Amino acid sequence: MNYIEPAAKQIIIGARGLKKHYQRGIETIKALDGVDIDVRAGEMVSILGPSGSGKTTLINLLSCLDAPDGGTLEIAGRQVAGLSEEELVGVRQGVLGFIFQKFHLLPTLTVAENVELPLMFLNRPVDREKTLAVLRLVDLENRAGHLPRELSGGQMQRVAIARALIAENRVMIADEPTGNLDKANGEAVFALFRKLVAEKNLAIVVTTHNLALGGLADRVITLEDGRIVEEKINSR
Amino acid sequence: MRFFAFACKNLFRRPVRTGLTVLAIALAVAVAVSLIGFNIGYRRSIDTSIDKLGFQVMIMAKGCPYEAATMMLKGGTGLVYLPASTYEEVRSDPDISAITPIFVGVAEKEASGISDEGGSSFAIISGIEVASFRDMKPWMAIAQGAGQAGGRWFADSATGEVVLGYEVAEYEQRKVGDSYFVSITPYGQVEPVMTELKVVGILERTGTQDDGTVFMPILEARRLFNRPNELTIVGFKLKNFSGLALRQFEQRWAKLPEVQVVGLQQVKTTLVSLVETAQTMIASVAVVAIIVAVIGVINSILMSVFERTGEIGIMKAIGATRSDIFQIIWLETMAICIGGGLAGVLLAVSGTSLVEKALQSLIDFGTKGSLVAITPEVMLTALLGSAVIGCFAGLYPAWRASSLRPVEAIREGE
Repeated sequence: MNYIEPAAKQIIIGARGLKKHYQRGIETIKALDGVDIDVRAGEMVSILGPSGSGKTTLINLLSCLDAPDGGTLEIAGRQVAGLSEEELVGVRQGVLGFIFQKFHLLPTLTVAENVELPLMFLNRPVDREKTLAVLRLVDLENRAGHLPRELSGGQMQRVAIARALIAENRVMIADEPTGNLDKANGEAVFALFRKLVAEKNLAIVVTTHNLALGGLADRVITLEDGRIVEEKINSR
Repeated sequence: MRFFAFACKNLFRRPVRTGLTVLAIALAVAVAVSLIGFNIGYRRSIDTSIDKLGFQVMIMAKGCPYEAATMMLKGGTGLVYLPASTYEEVRSDPDISAITPIFVGVAEKEASGISDEGGSSFAIISGIEVASFRDMKPWMAIAQGAGQAGGRWFADSATGEVVLGYEVAEYEQRKVGDSYFVSITPYGQVEPVMTELKVVGILERTGTQDDGTVFMPILEARRLFNRPNELTIVGFKLKNFSGLALRQFEQRWAKLPEVQVVGLQQVKTTLVSLVETAQTMIASVAVVAIIVAVIGVINSILMSVFERTGEIGIMKAIGATRSDIFQIIWLETMAICIGGGLAGVLLAVSGTSLVEKALQSLIDFGTKGSLVAITPEVMLTALLGSAVIGCFAGLYPAWRASSLRPVEAIREGE
């Protein structure tokens, strides 16, 4: 498998002046109010901030699950502002992989089938050897035939990571991936992220409440009231 | 894994709910299939029974035509007679290609030595003219098996001789050469007369009303019933049978008093119409059952969509298009409906004998053969119908699911 982006440190996601406002009665909630952010290949960016700071809103916009009210957003060279829902699917396909707090594995599918699910939507052939290779990467090769209910929380999250990897996406978006995990499993997930960034040249954007885990990223962005209040680069 | 396999796996997440929904469809389809099978089987049975009468048209005393026809099919006690001279008058008609007079009487069975629980204690005696009757029914043959050897038809002038239908011989355990006792009440008398008849032949099974009939020479039958100058019906075939020919024939012979000309096609139509009302009612029940089942399917799939809102959002996030989600939900509905259709057809086929018994006890027009005929075409139609139902039932839930916005769907599922 060759996941390595030839042009390392190439900007894959570039956002300028991103805005997202919600109307609550007569009050306008500025969930995001002019955020600039770049995400490069081979870089792990963590987004920290208290509840309501706009982390999830930002991640929804960066992952094309929601549309911004203002600003520009370019993903893998495509401007996404004003695209329809179906066009946004086209942007996500093969570029963005997702990991969620609640894993969201399908209970009737085996681990391997859950991992292969994105291929069905991308209309790509399933190669079980490749699936096992991805599972090996997350140390779950021996669990390929198991159902999600037979796994621990940490294992389920690693299956979700494998699912995000199978389509060879260039960016992995993780929204509170350790929110349902204990400390050890949380650390294991972040260690895996670091490994993927280093070995696969992936770009990973991760939101977390956990300052210690967030600090493991190359860049740590802190949000407050919809604005970036701090951006810290960790040298490695 | 393609969408269909994926959709089927999804259905097993709630096996009880899926099973009940499939069962509802299956029951509705089974009712519909049985009904259509009954419709076909009943018409076919009437066709066979009437075709095996041998003649196309009959002349009989005025009265209810289907009463007369059913009397011909299974016998009856309300017999009405017409003058024997009718036969002589009609036989000269130039359009007739074959004609046979028949005298039907009902006698009481005697000394059969068989317990008769549930069976008839009456014997239908059919007086015939052998040659013309056999011309009408060339398939009738004297059996020559064990206990039937030496069997033959009687001569028209014979007395005290009978040929038994296959079922009569079997039920009464009579062989060729045995005696067959009946009590006949001659016309104008009160007391029945015990009569000993000699079995000279036993018919091969015909699968028609003739299997339950006792045949004797027409002259002898008239004598025993003391109706020397009467007939029950005159059956005949026309040279060029058509509706027009039949109407012209009817017009010609309408001049005869107390006589009616009845085409057997008309009898078929009348017999079919007798059960049409019941069929319409059952069809209405089947339609309501199908509608209820379809609503059940829509409800079940919608519940499933609501329960999986988060998952649908995730699927969209990882690359599923609106069309993909639509297809998955729609295929789930199709799988339920086709599965229900298949189960319904199997249920209908395996329950045919039960339905048959129930119908036989309700409908007694003396028809022979199966009353429920579930043909491959009916089964195929039922399966196709189930698929069509699935197509439509799946539209709304599939549209609902495909319309979910991923970010909201994921949030709802959290």
